[in-house]
Order: sequence, then C-alpha cells, then structure tokens
Amino acid sequence: MPLGLNLFSARLGFDGGLFLADYKAVTARRPVDSIPTPNRLNIPLRHRADLSTHPLAAVGQRLLGGELIAAPGDANGVGVPAPTSGTVTALSRVWSAQDGYLPSAIFEPDGRDERVPAQLSWEDDSILAMLARGAAMCCNPRLPAHVVLRKAVSAAVNTLIVNGMETEPYLTADLRALVEMPGRMVDAACEIADAVGVTRVIIALPDRHRRVFKRIAGESVARFVEVVALPDKYPQCHPIILAKTLLDLDTPPGGSTLDIGALVLTPGALRPIADAVFDDRPMTHVVISVAGDAVVSPGTYRVPIGMDFDSIGRHVGLNTDAPTIVSGGPFTGVHVPRGDSVVTSTTTAVLFFAHQPHGDPMACVHCGWCVEDCPVGVSPVELSQLELQATCSPDAVPQLRACIDCGLCTFVCPARLPLAATIKRCRGRFADYPEGGA
Amino acid sequence: MIAPTIAALEYPRSAPFKTGGSDHAEILRSWLYAAALPAMAGVVLFGRTALIVIGASIGAALITDFLMDRLTRRRQRSDTLHVALLALLLALTFPAQAPWYIPAFAAFIMVTVKAAFGGISHCLWHPALIGRVVVQFLFTQQLALTFAGAPVSGPVLAPQHLVSGQLELARRFAATEYLGWREAGLEEQQAHAFETVRPQQVLRLFADGHISKDTSLWKNDPPLRITPLLRDYLPPWGDTILGAVPGAIGETTSLALVVAGLYLIYRGHLRWQLPVAVILGAAVAAAIMPISIGANGSYRWVPALVFEEGRAVGLAYVLFHLTAGQLLICAFLLGGEMLLSPLRARGQFLFGAGIGVLTIFLRLYGPLDGEGYWAVLAMNSIVPMIDQRLKRPVLGIDD
Repeated sequence: MPLGLNLFSARLGFDGGLFLADYKAVTARRPVDSIPTPNRLNIPLRHRADLSTHPLAAVGQRLLGGELIAAPGDANGVGVPAPTSGTVTALSRVWSAQDGYLPSAIFEPDGRDERVPAQLSWEDDSILAMLARGAAMCCNPRLPAHVVLRKAVSAAVNTLIVNGMETEPYLTADLRALVEMPGRMVDAACEIADAVGVTRVIIALPDRHRRVFKRIAGESVARFVEVVALPDKYPQCHPIILAKTLLDLDTPPGGSTLDIGALVLTPGALRPIADAVFDDRPMTHVVISVAGDAVVSPGTYRVPIGMDFDSIGRHVGLNTDAPTIVSGGPFTGVHVPRGDSVVTSTTTAVLFFAHQPHGDPMACVHCGWCVEDCPVGVSPVELSQLELQATCSPDAVPQLRACIDCGLCTFVCPARLPLAATIKRCRGRFADYPEGGA
Repeated sequence: MIAPTIAALEYPRSAPFKTGGSDHAEILRSWLYAAALPAMAGVVLFGRTALIVIGASIGAALITDFLMDRLTRRRQRSDTLHVALLALLLALTFPAQAPWYIPAFAAFIMVTVKAAFGGISHCLWHPALIGRVVVQFLFTQQLALTFAGAPVSGPVLAPQHLVSGQLELARRFAATEYLGWREAGLEEQQAHAFETVRPQQVLRLFADGHISKDTSLWKNDPPLRITPLLRDYLPPWGDTILGAVPGAIGETTSLALVVAGLYLIYRGHLRWQLPVAVILGAAVAAAIMPISIGANGSYRWVPALVFEEGRAVGLAYVLFHLTAGQLLICAFLLGGEMLLSPLRARGQFLFGAGIGVLTIFLRLYGPLDGEGYWAVLAMNSIVPMIDQRLKRPVLGIDD
C-alpha cells in the first residue's frame, strides 16, 4: 500500500499499551547463530512437571541424535530425544525456570553428531502423530504441539493467527524466523490450518518491518492467508490482545483464545512444527534470544536443550560477574536464581541484566499511569490493594482473571510499586478457588 | 517451588525486570522547576518582599515537617521534596506585602493537615489550599482578603523599579485613573510601585452592577454596557498577561504560568486535558453567566455576545476573565497536583471543567475571596466519585 493511503486509513490497535524502547537494533540484524554443543548437557526428562515420561536409556548407553532418552508417559506427552550422538552418563535432577527441579539425564556428546535417519513417509502418518514423534513443544501455551492442535480441533476454532508481533523488548527469535524462512513459516501455517480445519489464516507482523511484510505477503499469494501489519505497541504480542485487535472478540476472563475460536501460534512454535512435519527432525534444539544489558555479543542463538545458562553466558560474554538471569522476555519472564539452570523445550529467551538499583516502593501517588496503560482496562492499583484484605468482593475476581500479566503497570509506576506481582499473587489467593474466598 | 539458594531469597525478583518512566522524586523535581518560574516572575514584579513570603513559607513547612517526623516517627521517601513543593505553591497564593508570619502559619497548618490525613497519598483536599483558606479567616485584618466584593487594592512595582523597588513607596490610583503599567510610569518617576484594584475584583464589581450603571435613558430594559469596564476600569489586557497587575505573587503572571504548564505537559507530568478543560470551562462560563444591570435587579445572560459600536467587547470581557485572578495558577499548578486529581484523562477533563466553571461562578457571585482556591478544593472533594464513575471497560467483562 502506498504510504499516503496508509497515513489516512484507520489504524488497528487497542486501548492502553505503550511503545517501548525495544533494544533490538543490534540483534534484529544478526542471523541465527549456533552455539556449539558443550561437553556435558543436563537434559530434563520432562517437558513440564506434569507431563510424565518413562526413561528408556540406561546409564552408559550410547544414543544417536534423535533417539529417545525418555518415552512419553501417556498420549498427551512427548518423548525426550537426544540432541546429538553421545552417552548418558548419569541420571540426576536439574533446576528449570518454570517448574523447579525436574528429573534429568547427564548426557555427554561424543562430537560425531550421528543421527537417526529421517522417515519422510507421508502416507501412513497424520500430522498429529508426526508432531508427537517429533517431540514438538509450543511455548505459549506450554503444551506439546499435537495436544495444542487437538484442543483447537475440539474447541472448533475457525481462525489461525500467526503471532509475529513480538513487541517485548530484547526478543528477536520470532523476527529472525520470519526473516530467514518466510516460505517455511507460511507453509507450516497452512499445514496447521489444514490439520485443524480452519478457514482463515492471519499472519500479524509489526508494521515497521516493511520488507518482512512484503516477503511474507509474497509467500502467501493465492494461499488464502491474510497478512496484517500492526503498530508494535506492547503488549500487542499477547494472544488475547491480538485476537481483540484482529477479530474484535473479547476473550472471557481467565480463558484462552481457544474460547473465542482462535488459535494463536508464534513463529517460534511454528519452527519445530515445520521441522517435525516437513523434515521429520525432532525438537532437540531451541532458537532463543540471548540479550540484556550485561551481554557483550547479544543475538539469536540455536542452542541444544539441556545447555546451562552459565555456558551460554560464557559463550556470548558477560560484562558483569553476577548477572540477573531471566528466562523469557523482560516483561513476562521468570527470574532464574542459579546459573546451572538449563534451557528447556519451552525457553524463548535468556536475558542477562547487570545489577540495577531499583528504588524502594512508596505509597501510590495517584498518577493514573497504570490505569491509562493497562491493555485490558483493569485498575492495577485498586486490585493490588486486595493484598491487604482477607476476602475480596465477587466483582474483583473476574478482574483479577482478566489481567494478562503484561507487567506494564509495574514498568510505569513512579512509586515503584510491584503491582503486577501483587495482582498475580492476589489471583492465586482469590481467583484460583471456585468461590473466590481465601 | 523450593527456593534453592540464599541468593534467591535475597533478591526475590519478579517480572517485569525493567522499569521505565519517571520515579516520584523526578516528578516532584520537575514540578518544583515549574513552580519556581512564576515564583521568579513574582520576585521580579513584587520585589524582595516576595522572597520573604516564599522563604517563610518553605522554611516553616520544612521545620514543621521535620518536627512532625520526629513526633510521629514516620519516615517516607521524597516527602521533603513534596513538602517543599507544596510550600512553594502555598507562597504563590499570598500577596507580596503579607507579613511573614502569615505564610509561615499557613505552612504550619498545611503540613499538619497533610500529616493528619496520613501522609503523602491520603489527602483529599490540597493541603496548601487548606492552609491558604484557613489563614484567610484567621488574619482578616492583615490580609483584607476574606470576603469578596470589596475592592481591595494592591501594589505592583513600576517598570523602572523592577526587583529592587519597594512596595511601600507606592502611588495609589483609583481604578478609573490608572492608564496601565507602562503609561502610568511615564508620569510617575518618583513612585516605586503603583497601587490599584485587582482585576478580578473589578470584574466582580461589574457583575454586581456597580460599573455599567448609566441607565437613565432606559427605564425598563437597559442594555448591558461593557465598554466602560474595558476602557475605564480594567488595566490593559497585556498587563494581565505579563502579570503587571496587583494580586498574589504567583497568580498574576499568566505568561510564566503558561510556560510552566507547558513544561510540565512536555515532561509528561501533567496531562494537557486538565488545564485545557479549566480554560475551556472558564471561557464558557464567563461567556454565559449573567451580569447584573443594576436596574430593577435584572440580569443579562450571555455577555459574550455583546457588541458595542462594532467591537466584540463581550469576547474581550471573556478574555479578561481567563487571565485575571487565580484561574491560570489553578489550571496549571494547583489543580494538576497528581495526588488530588482523577486517575484518567477524561476524569481530569471533567475535574478541570468543574474548576473552570466554579472559579468563574465564585468570582461573579461568590461570598469569599480566593475563588480559584475554593473551586479546586470543591472539585478535590469529588475526585473519588469521578474515579468511581469513570472506570475503563475491562476486556471480556464490560462492553
């Protein structure tokens, strides 16, 4: 569309939100790089604490890349493939950012990188079976890909949204996927649309990446895929906000976009799906952004699952001795208090921050910035006052559930109140019980 | 989840891991810079005595705050900055010739009231304005500013004697003799200052029907005459822009107040909706609210539509309302105090429009002096209701 027309047309968007300094100037231009496999991996044997697996490999057994270390415990689980050829030397436990301690296998690669040959037979396999065999995990929701698709089928979704917005600062993995393999992303989106049976596929992109938009639009010619450019206002990347912007449908509080008939997947989730479906390559590596103000050479890296954060920090170089390690984005991620925590199948980013002095919280100064910037329209300061109450009114429960944990209220608060964390805690106290009382 | 190490207990960090924007100390600092601008203009226009008022107010406020901290054993971050800001705003509401103990006592009341409410974020009314209106009743003799309606005159330094002149060496003018700040100075080289009636009180006399009284030809239905007011009684409009009219230290200088407000809006520490709403509300109110004609107790509505000899004197009358008195200091500095204004921009619009309308209403018909201060206090008291009514629709629940 010519620039002039673009200026006068209606802008898609949502109330609230904030245009943030995104710190992506360097990393967005760097191609995806591989971090070499270290001598020792600590591979978690579960993708999530509640997805059980049975260990298959004995201690001392040599495995090829792609062979299963652990088999799925039930139909909703996926196995744990070995990232490369090597030996399981011990069974242990490992700290993961999301789930705490998980059972793990110490795996020592032998450097030969021999792999199980791929079976590219399309005749006798459904896509769901191929995804289950490929151990593909989605990061949002944190579920195996074939379970996500099965849920989408049973929820009768009619729209697939590929969420290429990635408006959180520092994160570039999704953008690099769209830049480096636009055709593969569109192909994967179409395969998923066929498998789930949706009639409408929307690819949402930030409007300032004009060349990415053109390439994706070129790949989706005559494929019934709509490509939409949106302003990259945070949190446009959140599925609920994206569905509200694109479809004008309100997700009920506490629900997911499946409730309104939309399946939202990021390019980061399409990447292992494409690997599993097109190449029969199991998900043994993840592509993550490694950035933060303590990192010397930030970028988007392909790292094996089971690599610890200290090794990643050594590879990219850190300019501080004791960085704050964050798994995930700076607004939605989890603080990882120890460096021997490892990359799991649902890690999207590892951020290293230098120690930054943050002021002590004081009383609310009534500036109204949190109310103004909240993307769902709740009043964060009012909800955070539930912290001091023993019970909460029935009206507050849906508001606690409507919060999407974007973290903007804490970001803007001039009194430095931990609003987002308090709301999250209050939701745990009040809204996660059916009657709303704690 | 078990906390694995002591380090995790020491730094229980949670998302987001970045904070942005200003913290409260930075907001207070920019407000202090903004309030310092009309204060400096006041020192230029009213001389060294204005400095005494400002110093007495800030000093008394800081001492009281220190003693209050000792007494109540509370310690709160950036409270001192906030007290200094409130004391500076308080000093801006006093005329420069006020004895030093009046602003000092007002500052004492201000800090006490603030502490009685429970600190920085629990006040319902603007503490500085509470201090101002309390001493307005306590020191009736010294201030002569208790009740509206009486023409109170005050001095302003002559153009040749700015900053260094003495307000006591003033030449007194009747309102009809005073030609204007520059013109009066051409004849009066000796006088350090000119003393004349404050413009908002001239406007009050006009609303009471004391000025456009020559109704001899019309027995029953005399027209409203605005020309005598503009030509004979009010100073030139440019004087009210510069602030070269009598009044309180901070309230006369419209130019400095507008610049201070624009600075705050540029910093993002004041929403533009609030001052715009105050000015719009005041303009609409001044354009509509009736003026007594003085005969048979009859009133004329919509004075803004009065044309005399082809001149839009009604609009000029509205412009005088905008730059006279406490309207602009309430719009830019007193009304926009974060702690005491609504949370949302549209609530602030409502709040500001209320201040504007109430200011003009009290100026034209109210019983007490300090119309803008009363208007801000009145609107402060309904801020919780505005916040309650104007909530945003929540995604998935409302609409």
